[in-house]
Amino acid sequence: MQNLDHMLYLGAFLFAVGIAVIVVKRNAIMVLLGLELLLNASNVNLVVFNRIHAGRIDGQMFSLFVIIVAVCEAAVGLAIVLRVYQYYKTSVPDEVSELKD
Amino acid sequence: MESSVALSLQDIITGLRVFTPELMLGGGVVLLLIIGLFTNDIHKISAVALLVLMAVAYAQYLRDIPLTSEISHELFSKMIVVSNFSSYMGFLLDLGGILTVLMSWPYFLHADKLKEGLEQRRRFVSEYYLLIVVIVLGGHLLISSVNLLMVFLSLELISLPSYALAGFLFNKKSSEGSFKYFLFGAVASAVMLYGFSLFYGQFGTLDFRRDDLFATVPWSPLLVVSVVFSMAGFLYKIAAVPMHPWAPDVYEAAPTPIVAFFSVVPKLAGLAILVRFVIVSPYDNGNPAVMHALALISILTITVGNFSALVQKNPKRMMAYSSIAQSGFLLVGLVALSASGLQFMIFYSTIYLLMNFLVFYYLQYFELRGFTTIASYQNAGSKYLWPSIFLLVGFISLTGLPPTGGFTAKLFIFSALWESYSNHAHRGDQILLWLFIFGLLNTVVSLFYYLRIPYFAFIKNWESTPKTNILTSSPVAYDSFIGRSSIGNLLGLILVIVLLLIFFAPGLLMGWINKINFVL
Repeated sequence: MQNLDHMLYLGAFLFAVGIAVIVVKRNAIMVLLGLELLLNASNVNLVVFNRIHAGRIDGQMFSLFVIIVAVCEAAVGLAIVLRVYQYYKTSVPDEVSELKD
Repeated sequence: MESSVALSLQDIITGLRVFTPELMLGGGVVLLLIIGLFTNDIHKISAVALLVLMAVAYAQYLRDIPLTSEISHELFSKMIVVSNFSSYMGFLLDLGGILTVLMSWPYFLHADKLKEGLEQRRRFVSEYYLLIVVIVLGGHLLISSVNLLMVFLSLELISLPSYALAGFLFNKKSSEGSFKYFLFGAVASAVMLYGFSLFYGQFGTLDFRRDDLFATVPWSPLLVVSVVFSMAGFLYKIAAVPMHPWAPDVYEAAPTPIVAFFSVVPKLAGLAILVRFVIVSPYDNGNPAVMHALALISILTITVGNFSALVQKNPKRMMAYSSIAQSGFLLVGLVALSASGLQFMIFYSTIYLLMNFLVFYYLQYFELRGFTTIASYQNAGSKYLWPSIFLLVGFISLTGLPPTGGFTAKLFIFSALWESYSNHAHRGDQILLWLFIFGLLNTVVSLFYYLRIPYFAFIKNWESTPKTNILTSSPVAYDSFIGRSSIGNLLGLILVIVLLLIFFAPGLLMGWINKINFVL
């Protein structure tokens, strides 16, 4: 049980780092990396919790699906970042700000 | 082992029989993909998309026939539950899809005012409709899912095509809109996923339906975190206040039919899943924390949406804040959380769909004629009399004034709230009273911005038109196409008639909704 606690701390740590990366880093590519950290934090949690609630493999199945969705999201995200780069010549979200109140 | 495989297969095959509308949506996606290989003809592809969605709506209606029965089908090893609640909401989503296709048709044909990216748009016309059908499919799955895995997958199925559609104008602003939508949306769904994983950890199941679910686990910070994180994803989909900042940018940047689509279909789907999620949470265990939180969110959403809308100059941006405020009003039915509250929420959703599409249909009508800011609508009333009047009816309905369906919907939803407040009064739920007061006051506020476009169109007549260059950019050119033709106005006329009819005979609609049981 002790080991599993450590794994949950790992998940929380990954989540915190992911959020920090998204907030602090200014480049959209880095934001995408932060997103991957967030998703993987959930993956760690799901797999660990599946250990606790053994019997069914819900959590592990879920994490497999999350991995697939993460790939799709990265693909769509990179395509959008590319398009933004074509118009703005930058991928820094703060500098992409034509739409305002 | 062999028999368990056979049982699972049997389960899937029985499930497929009830699953016709969703299968048809999947088939429609493939069909559109194939047709896109052969032709780029706008008429053909639009007609196919329209037929697919209409067939789906009809299948949904056929599935809806045992409406009076209490039966809800559990499909695919309890991933999905088809009840008459999900059937009705699914029907609304199909209707939204159909109206979007009808709006997109003229948009592709007469988009001369929005020349930039026109070529690309016309090249990808089949992909455009395909993505719309995918979102409708995602909505169908979302409103019937009872498993967190299914919720996550169908939310992503809605989100990913949305990011692409938001950028479909193929210009600078549009790319920015989809960029921001993506960044917000991806983070929101990742946070929601983390909430799901914690939820799973505490309850040991991904199925969130069990009534005793929250009774088995005491309230702890971890539980609060998991519920808050999970809710964040849903609130993002309906653009409620802490998760709303993406809406104005996306609405301003995206093509108008898509904006109308975004403001209705993902919102109703998100609302339905929020209902399913909240309805199991510990209302009856004497812990009103979730209700208080939702009431607070509702108050904030209505207030922020309305006050931000007051200062907008772009009609689409104004409608973005309006749709934020409207989701606050939709949440009122959920906060009341009685059977009648939920029924009136569904009633409100139906009216919201109709009136929002009416308004967007005419905003697009005017946008295609060069009216892109609110101030440019001056004199529009004399030039395009009937379209302006229809637009006025739509705005009056959104405000919630008689004689329109919007008034009936607001009346019903607030009466449900009042009833709920009277019942809960002994528990000192003052927040319900505050919600009531804020909701009513905000209706007055909303009057000021909803009636600004009609004010410019009808009342404010400037002799010379100094700044706007409507005249120089010759809006008259299109009149030959759809301007004077009655077909362009037929859809608007039907929506107006339905909205007026529901005011005079709300029983027609309530008769259907009354049959919905909330044994979700």
